Amino acid sequence: MTRTGEGRDARAVGRSVPRVDGAEKVTGRAAYVTDCVVPGMLHAALLRSPLPHARIRRIDAGRAATHPGVSAVVTGADLVQMPGLDPYFGPAFQDQAILAIDKVRFVGDPVAAVAAATREAAREAAQLIEVEYEELSAVLDVQAALRAGAPLVHERLRPSQAFADLMGIEAERQTNVCYHFKLRRGDVERAFAEAAHVFEDTYTSPAAQHAPLEPHVTVAWVTEGGLLHVTSSTQSPSYVRLSLARIFGLPLSKVRVTVPYLGGGYGAKTYDKLEPVTALLALRTRRPVKLQLTREEEFVTIHKHAVTTRIRTGVAADGRLLAREVAVYWDSGAYADIAPRVVHKSGYTAAGPYAIPNVKIDSYCVYTNRPPAGAFRGFGVPQVVWAYESQTDAIATRLGLDPVAYRRAHLLREGDLFATGTPMRSLAVIECLDAVAREIEWGSGLAGSSPPAPEVREAGVPRRVLRGKGVAVGIKAALAPSISGATVMLNADGSASVLSSTVEMGQGSDTLLAQIVAEALGVRVPDVQVVHPDTAVTPYDTITAATRSTFHMGNAVLQAAARVREQLFAIASDRLEVDPDLLRARDGRVFVAEAEDRGLTIPEVFGAAFQAAGTTLVGEAVYQTSAIPTDHETGQSERVTVMWFVGASAAEVEVDLETGQVRVLRFATAADVGRPINPHHCRQQILGSAVTSIGQTLFECLHFEGGQLTNGSFLDYMIAGYRDVPPIITPIIVERAHPEGPYGAKGVGETGALSVAAAIGNAVHAALGVRLRDLPLTPERVLQAMREREPARAARRGQVERGPG
Amino acid sequence: MGFDLLEPRTVAEAVELHARDGNAVFLAGGTALLILQRQGLPLPRRLISLRGIPGLDEITAGPGGGLRIGALATLRQVERHPLVVRRVPLLAEALRQVANVRVRHTATLGGNLAHGDYRLDPPAPLLVLGAQVRAVGIGGEREIALAAFFRGLFETALQPGEVVTELAIPPTPPSGGTYLKYALSSNDWPCVGAAALVALDDHGRCREVRLALTAVAAAPVLVRGLDELARGEPVSDRLAARLADIAAAQVEPVGDQRGSEWYKREMARVFARRALLAAARRAEAGPVGDGTKEPVA
Ligand SMILES: Cc1cc2nc3c(=O)[nH]c(=O)nc-3n(C[C@H](O)[C@H](O)[C@H](O)COP(=O)(O)OP(=O)(O)OC[C@H]3O[C@@H](n4cnc5c(N)ncnc54)[C@H](O)[C@@H]3O)c2cc1C
Repeated sequence: MTRTGEGRDARAVGRSVPRVDGAEKVTGRAAYVTDCVVPGMLHAALLRSPLPHARIRRIDAGRAATHPGVSAVVTGADLVQMPGLDPYFGPAFQDQAILAIDKVRFVGDPVAAVAAATREAAREAAQLIEVEYEELSAVLDVQAALRAGAPLVHERLRPSQAFADLMGIEAERQTNVCYHFKLRRGDVERAFAEAAHVFEDTYTSPAAQHAPLEPHVTVAWVTEGGLLHVTSSTQSPSYVRLSLARIFGLPLSKVRVTVPYLGGGYGAKTYDKLEPVTALLALRTRRPVKLQLTREEEFVTIHKHAVTTRIRTGVAADGRLLAREVAVYWDSGAYADIAPRVVHKSGYTAAGPYAIPNVKIDSYCVYTNRPPAGAFRGFGVPQVVWAYESQTDAIATRLGLDPVAYRRAHLLREGDLFATGTPMRSLAVIECLDAVAREIEWGSGLAGSSPPAPEVREAGVPRRVLRGKGVAVGIKAALAPSISGATVMLNADGSASVLSSTVEMGQGSDTLLAQIVAEALGVRVPDVQVVHPDTAVTPYDTITAATRSTFHMGNAVLQAAARVREQLFAIASDRLEVDPDLLRARDGRVFVAEAEDRGLTIPEVFGAAFQAAGTTLVGEAVYQTSAIPTDHETGQSERVTVMWFVGASAAEVEVDLETGQVRVLRFATAADVGRPINPHHCRQQILGSAVTSIGQTLFECLHFEGGQLTNGSFLDYMIAGYRDVPPIITPIIVERAHPEGPYGAKGVGETGALSVAAAIGNAVHAALGVRLRDLPLTPERVLQAMREREPARAARRGQVERGPG
Repeated sequence: MGFDLLEPRTVAEAVELHARDGNAVFLAGGTALLILQRQGLPLPRRLISLRGIPGLDEITAGPGGGLRIGALATLRQVERHPLVVRRVPLLAEALRQVANVRVRHTATLGGNLAHGDYRLDPPAPLLVLGAQVRAVGIGGEREIALAAFFRGLFETALQPGEVVTELAIPPTPPSGGTYLKYALSSNDWPCVGAAALVALDDHGRCREVRLALTAVAAAPVLVRGLDELARGEPVSDRLAARLADIAAAQVEPVGDQRGSEWYKREMARVFARRALLAAARRAEAGPVGDGTKEPVA
């Protein structure tokens, strides 16, 4: 493990300084949207559809409207009559109505909203609304949705205009495919014909829940001057402002979105969710309105895409990867949310970070009558890594090659072209692979083959187990183009404020931005106050997601701070009579580089410039990355992103031969973070990603029956708990400074999530010799796979009753 | 909708309140009831809270050994009580594995049994301990053997309006016991739960074997017919496997998200065997139970 500069105490960057919000959070004083109470506030509740697909015939809200305490009841029919209101929203397609108009599209689709004096009154009233439905036939999975003549979830589609990368998207007409990404490179068919081996498999990854500690919550009210103020649990305040302004026909200046601390997001809180309906109720009632989801509602609001990946690879006799053809089907549910971007961005990485001259990828975004799927830490990449890294492992094993060595030989190197035709830059994937392999002592006996079963005793009873080790790598591209604006304000006493729309959602952005400013201005980290998103004062930022904040907001803040420093140095250089280029800032002083005694404290510099106390110097910057859009037919682009982030995982597992249960004994995961601004935070992010992903690998899965979610609560949906964490788990930082990153940093929010499932699946294969292709790796699936391999032996033992169908 | 919370001070009063409104429901920890409500089942108009009845949560030594556990004792109280830890460590071991500590602090043992869910942990150890349920209804008090208490899915032997007041655990013979909870993740409900109690004679041969399984049928299963095979035999791997086969034949699993019917039956067999072996190892190592030296806690 690298420990960059953790000893150099004078510096703010590269050191594991404690979280600036730590004490406030662990003592329970930090305020979240849930804690927001506005005088005169009403509470809202939603009535949701009980059917997956139905036409709304009639709604009778009469009884609800007269229920004690109720201020307003709104339905989709009301929306279309409101002048100046555009009732549809969505970041990719404006396909979601604030409340269902004409049709409902999933079990849980909001149909009506009530605002009342108390939450209970609002909920009771919502239950009094009578809706008459005409049930339509539904498409409950991707297969059904793709069938010729399948019922359409959406008859018409209107692309949104919010983001440059999504402006050109087009739905395939008269199908449920709302977006199809195509990548064509080389001649796949010819290469397959020449291949010595062809591998073809289908891998699946299920729908899973984000499970943020804090469910979605929004408070909206109208203040003086007709300003619509919305405080919300969102990862995208700037986008929400834009969306609300468009929906309600307001100037951007008349919408103010504020975001306090977020109680976890993981992608669930990206784009608009509750904001449109809550704002609508506030505008309707002219009262503040709060809408907070129950945990059960949270489960049907957004989830991680269920994905089916068909992957076919042609390999030369010597192991070279000649061709890879991948078809990825994304179950996006009833509304597209950000799915087209998931399908695009993960789609173009679906062949993996390997040197493969011929690649064909088709990635389909498919509407179904299920709850909507959207962004989830990793943004679709873990699902495709599961497929390509399982198969790459299968190839190595089949050819009798060491899976680590095989990957090493074929991974992309600096300057190589990715499947998109983009030259690779700043890519420490081999270093990550080596680091994790070393950590689990790869090559010390267990790798690639089934070792003799060690004797394991539990409560004095022997258990038959097998152990194995596996590795996997993963790659993801940073979102580009994207934009971050920031303002840095230095105060006369040497403290500073940062105005930024980056949301502190537990990832440590407040601390990170404070470290960057402290470093640039030579002030103390605890004296830097990061002002939380408030679109009335904090500049535009694309989103807090996609592992982009360190890089983008970090750069914006760094540049803004540099502008403050220029002013500071200009004043000091006059006073010290020295060229500003020779000045440095550290420990609250400005001084001459070669003569540190010659200097001024920050208050002295301010004193020289201003004849008043408490003055400020202000710097602003907008950092913008660019990209060349991928070609519509071939998916090629010379610059598909500004930054790749790569990681690797390694697992040692133990499988109980009688139950099929997989236990992860040792786990290591490495991320190329560029240069770490705060090494401890980086490790925590890597660890957090790993633990979440281990849960998703081993047991998490949303179950649906007839379109109805059947395990939509924490009673029946488990996430990894403390005791599910492997006894040995090591997060590893790999450093490859990025030339454009702030202080060489990249980012780390998702890197640790990319390759976890595949590493565990590969370890299971190493232990048992059976390859599982469906996540999660439940013990039943593992046991069944083992029995299928040895039906004869098991039957002789008389132990197989008959496997389930 | 809103509800009335009635707070009787005696069991008789609680029973009386129920007799006046047959739709009223008893409330103990509320952990099961409130979940049902969140899942969309409307709460009844009247809840009769048992929480304010003095003495219903006491845990005391039974006459001639054994224990009495008040129905309103929380799972956590029972799990931590020195008498439980000493006399029936099997029960403490099982309770430690229920849900999480927050739930255990609120949920009551009486509520757990009366709830009648098919996948609860505590019924399995209580079945092998031969617990008796004491219930009071409008017709008076009666005792129901736990083995006759569970009737089916959310169905118990309780008559409408009957309050569980106490659970009596008779003295156990010197034995080793264990509860194995097999779950897909650390905070989950059991896929299968197996409780075993094995008493050995001076030669290390079986005197008595008890086994109960949970989550593998509409109601917890107390496995029958083990002693015939086991009595007088040493607990070998082979014997345990044969006993486990008997157990697997007595379960009638309903597939759920934690395992199909096939898988649960397989796991019933696996964990029956492991529980029997583990209990036997404990019995060999130093039995607990009345008449034996109580181990230091
Ligand atoms: C998150 C979560 C996880 C859980 N995980 C597990 C687990 O892993 N294993 C497990 O075994 N259990 C688990 N449970 C279930 C839990 O053990 C039960 O909900 C609890 O024991 C019920 O007790 P209570 O006192 O809360 O009952 P209540 O909710 O108050 O009542 C339950 C039912 O019993 C009736 N009742 C209650 N007391 C009496 C009485 N004295 N006489 C007559 N009728 C009565 C009520 O009318 C009601 O019908 C879990 C529960 C939760 C919420």
